[in-house]
Amino acid sequence: MLNLSNKLVATFVSFLLSAASAQAQGPCEATRSAPGLERFYSQTWGTQYNGQRFQSAVNTSINSANASKLELLWVYGLSTNSPRSYPLVTEDTIFIGDGGRGLVALDRENGCVRWENTEIQDISTAIVSEVVDGRTLLIFSGRNSGVFAVDANSGELVWQRFVDDDHPIPMFSGSPLVYEDKVFVPISSLEIGLTLNPFYGCCTTSGGMAALDSATGDTLWYRPTIEEEAKVTGRHFFFVEEYGPSGAPVWGAPMLDTKRRLLFYGSGQNYSRPASLTSDAIFAVHIDTGEIAWVEQFTAGDAFNLACGLGLPNCPEPMGPDVDFGAPPLLVELATGEDLVIAGQKSGDVYGIDPDSGETVWSTRIGRGGALGGVHWGIAANPEMDLVFVPISDIPTLPKERPPQPGLFALDFNDGRIVWSVERKAKCEARSCWPGLSAAITAGPDIVVTGSLDGMLEIYRASDGELLWSYDTVTEFSAVNELATKGGAFDAHGPMLADNLLIVSSGYGSFGQEGGNALLVFTVAEEQSP
Amino acid sequence: MTDTSPLAGRGRRLVATLIDLFVVPLVSVLVLLVSGVFENAEAYAGNQIYIRGFLLGVAGYLLINGWLLHTRGQTLGKTIMGIMIVSNGTSTPAPLWRLVLIRALFFPTLYLVFFFPLTLIAIIDQAFIFSKKRRCLHDLVCGTSVVVRSDVGQE
Repeated sequence: MLNLSNKLVATFVSFLLSAASAQAQGPCEATRSAPGLERFYSQTWGTQYNGQRFQSAVNTSINSANASKLELLWVYGLSTNSPRSYPLVTEDTIFIGDGGRGLVALDRENGCVRWENTEIQDISTAIVSEVVDGRTLLIFSGRNSGVFAVDANSGELVWQRFVDDDHPIPMFSGSPLVYEDKVFVPISSLEIGLTLNPFYGCCTTSGGMAALDSATGDTLWYRPTIEEEAKVTGRHFFFVEEYGPSGAPVWGAPMLDTKRRLLFYGSGQNYSRPASLTSDAIFAVHIDTGEIAWVEQFTAGDAFNLACGLGLPNCPEPMGPDVDFGAPPLLVELATGEDLVIAGQKSGDVYGIDPDSGETVWSTRIGRGGALGGVHWGIAANPEMDLVFVPISDIPTLPKERPPQPGLFALDFNDGRIVWSVERKAKCEARSCWPGLSAAITAGPDIVVTGSLDGMLEIYRASDGELLWSYDTVTEFSAVNELATKGGAFDAHGPMLADNLLIVSSGYGSFGQEGGNALLVFTVAEEQSP
Repeated sequence: MTDTSPLAGRGRRLVATLIDLFVVPLVSVLVLLVSGVFENAEAYAGNQIYIRGFLLGVAGYLLINGWLLHTRGQTLGKTIMGIMIVSNGTSTPAPLWRLVLIRALFFPTLYLVFFFPLTLIAIIDQAFIFSKKRRCLHDLVCGTSVVVRSDVGQE
């Protein structure tokens, strides 16, 4: 009954939005045309398969010489206060999840809607693409509604699937990655929130990674992070049975080493005890079979769920420290020619890891760490400068002994040495003004683009950390679609560079940050030939 | 009891309902605890949470009121308040199926529907209590009225 209710409400909302758009988008009528699909500016959430989130000069003209000339080109008002979709950009179009409105294809020059698909209400990931039978598909996940493939030309739904396993309540938080006709889908679980119900017997589900057929969505293989079946470990309220091990969700996108044909991804904490040996770990998995090449755990015995914040019965004893790998790992080539996997943890630790063995080559601890980072959503690298850039949030969560160091850190990825750092200062006292960097960051040819929890969008020079440009997004905007639009905290997927455009969603109110709904598109004017 | 048992007062009926609204969820929680229907992840997949929640409410209601309704036409609240549900125009308890399916399930379920104009049904149903016969819409549909038990003093 409720599903029907949801559909009716969604239809009603869509009707209202469509009516509003029809009125608001008079000047946009001419742009309702098919999107160009010749050139895509990213392959994955991590920009490339190697997850570096590095946009070279081939794909962006924004650099340290012109960053200070960035100007706001247009703003689109999203239909959510916590935008959680990372766009896919082509030569003339931006595809992005628009909260309750669905999936939209926007003209990248003016933000006008080319097409929209209002069937999918909870897009929570990056959008990636794949050509199947001559048709370009957009592939992404809805937070609770499964994995989707949509025709990029028309917006028509091609398939929708849940992963075939025994997982009753999956949550799709990490972005899918598409390679060689397979869609790799990270899986976490709603169970972390069900623990708030004291009559719930925490917990039985495991995180995992699945491979789906990109043409049909059929499950090819599924690899749980915890192979062991959860067993009864205790009771509370006399009757409510507690289970473990559980959890180890895969919150972030995978990274792909095409040479080794290995998929790398991080896992989160256990939801209950006993803790498993695969929580807070980095996995290396064969893409063809789903077999594990190696798993390396970096924090043992970490068990935590949302019940802990309120002292409810489902909180494991002892709890925490809740320092999962939310940020996807990335792959770099060292000066020696060897490869190295680099992973940042919510503890504030950054690791250089041998991709063949999982052995730690170096590790560097930055800041205090905590339940919302430390390193939270994503690091980036510049392979031309041998640097990995590490955003640190350190927003106060659980008690920690070390002092916070919110800011941006550049490490030599050959040895983990800190080359430069920028500690960000609070612009006011409130929690919504915390200066930390929780959102994923992006690297350009010689720049690093960051968005902070206090709503500042900034560009730093990659070589020395000098601040080149900043823009305070905590303000109201006039949006091309005429929705009431304001910026807020930067969190989640972070900024994207494509040609002369800088694209980013401002606002994220999921954990007490400043909410907002602004899709901001900045540009630098192209150099004119004399 | 006589054939002309006096109609129950509106105040008594309201208090009886409030008592039931307090007691039934408590019993349902006990059922929940013992049965474990919301203890596992499967309970939250698809529409299971709504189905199980509904059945849990029915179980709690029948557990505390089923026998009373069957034998005396009373819920716990009505027992405490000294009133009973009878087939209209008689002094005999209405058939159990009508009390459960129409009075206890059908109308309360309609109350949960949030779409206009169905939302008005709850108001219309209750507004009928102010009629001369003090019969709510659910009483009219069910063919019942609520009277004072003859062994209990009038309001």
